[in-house]
Amino acid sequence: MATKLVTEKLSAWFGKKQVLKDVSIAFEERQVTALVGPSGCGKSTFIRCLNRMHELNPGARVDGKVFLDGLDIYGMDPMEVRRKIGMVFQKPNPFPNMSISDNVVAGIRLSGDARKSDLDEIVERTLKSVGLYDEVKEDLKRSGASLSGGQQQRLCIARALAMQPEVILMDEPTSSLDPASTSRIEELIRKLKSEITVIIITHNVGQAARISDKTAFLYLGELIEYNDTKAFFESPKSPITERYITGRFG
Amino acid sequence: MRLISRRSKEKLIIAALVALTGAAVIPLLWIVASIVWNGVSVMSIEFLTSLPAPFGSTGGGIGNAIVGTLIINLFASGLGIPLGILTGIYLSEYAYDSKMGSAVRTVVESLSGVPSIVIGLFAFTLIVLTFRHYTGIAATLALGIMMIPLVAKATEESMRVVSNDLREAGMALGIPKYNITTRIVLSMAKGGVISGALLAFARISGETAPLLFTALFSFYWPTGINQPIATLQVLIYNYAISGFADWVAKAWGASLLLVLVVIAINVAVRTLGRKKYGGA
Repeated sequence: MATKLVTEKLSAWFGKKQVLKDVSIAFEERQVTALVGPSGCGKSTFIRCLNRMHELNPGARVDGKVFLDGLDIYGMDPMEVRRKIGMVFQKPNPFPNMSISDNVVAGIRLSGDARKSDLDEIVERTLKSVGLYDEVKEDLKRSGASLSGGQQQRLCIARALAMQPEVILMDEPTSSLDPASTSRIEELIRKLKSEITVIIITHNVGQAARISDKTAFLYLGELIEYNDTKAFFESPKSPITERYITGRFG
Repeated sequence: MRLISRRSKEKLIIAALVALTGAAVIPLLWIVASIVWNGVSVMSIEFLTSLPAPFGSTGGGIGNAIVGTLIINLFASGLGIPLGILTGIYLSEYAYDSKMGSAVRTVVESLSGVPSIVIGLFAFTLIVLTFRHYTGIAATLALGIMMIPLVAKATEESMRVVSNDLREAGMALGIPKYNITTRIVLSMAKGGVISGALLAFARISGETAPLLFTALFSFYWPTGINQPIATLQVLIYNYAISGFADWVAKAWGASLLLVLVVIAINVAVRTLGRKKYGGA
């Protein structure tokens, strides 16, 4: 299995406060990696370093290296990085001023890469890949904000996929959704890994166990344990990991 | 016993509030009523479309002043609205937290507090004294400057309320910031920006002081912007104090027209706001 994305001694700060300490981890290509850990452990900051979003916060700082296919993303154009490494947020955030179809191709259109002729085809193909097409094909011109929460989140995944990213980062994508929508998205994530590398933060260890190939546990800004998901849950090496996955804190 | 006294206290407070609100509303209604009462009798097609009649004769109208106000307002809008929007965008998206931003914000806020006659004096010094004649250009400059802070404030405020989640969504897609700003944030805020621009337009429609020594007045149709131009505001001022019954009546008519325009703009803005926030 090839590695796709590698971090080396990645540290991050908000002002003077260090929230991430020397995290080194290698993500496998076309696998789902789950990041688990209690609130405030640095999971979100960590994945926001992977697409160079962390540095947008005032006073934020990053140290260490992140390699995508061997190239340091901190030496690349951040816009280019974010087109290759897509992101889905905790709260669905479709653009309310755009229709469903315009949402899907917003990234393509607004990043100046408009291959206008095949946009309709991209809309259809991408919405099909997230299982939304049949639900919305009659009203592609309706506002993206008119959909239900679960549909909005799938629309946001479609919007990220339309950029044809190589990696997709998901920050607790189901935490604001009902159980039915959650299981649809989990199913979608399992399907996505045939083409794409998925890194997902989850608050729900059950979800990590269900959908991921590998699981990493972060605690107080440090990587405590990283292993195949099965081994991670069956025989955790660290006592802190064990306490976390058995629900004794978190 | 106690309950009754509490209830009557409540009634007393409500009565006081109604009375005070009435006291605030009555002068406003009085003004509007007297303008309608005095102005409606002179309203006619001739009044709205003709030049003022020669001295001593009755009839004629205020057509040139209507056209003049429109010209000056449109040119002022052409100056003030784009500059205001750009300033608002800068303050909201590019310099919200920075020292430069708060410096610009302070300047803009101070500008909105500068008395209009002072801004008129500035335009007079800069343009009228340079060209050595009264000109609509100076009026345009003065009113345009007055619009900038109003439009900038409206733009900044309506862009700030756009959720930061949407900016992040745009950044995460690799969309350049100028496109996030214009195609996402500004597009979401456009209702507020348009309202702000319309209210600024309404506001300058009533400004008289900066016009008195810039556009001055004229009894003829305007043929260009670089000349003295009649405006409704200065016409009202000149005619109202003239002492001729006919002119005073025309001043009332012009006032009615001006008030109708301002009310229409305010109603339009309110409707726009309802559409935006009331769904549908």
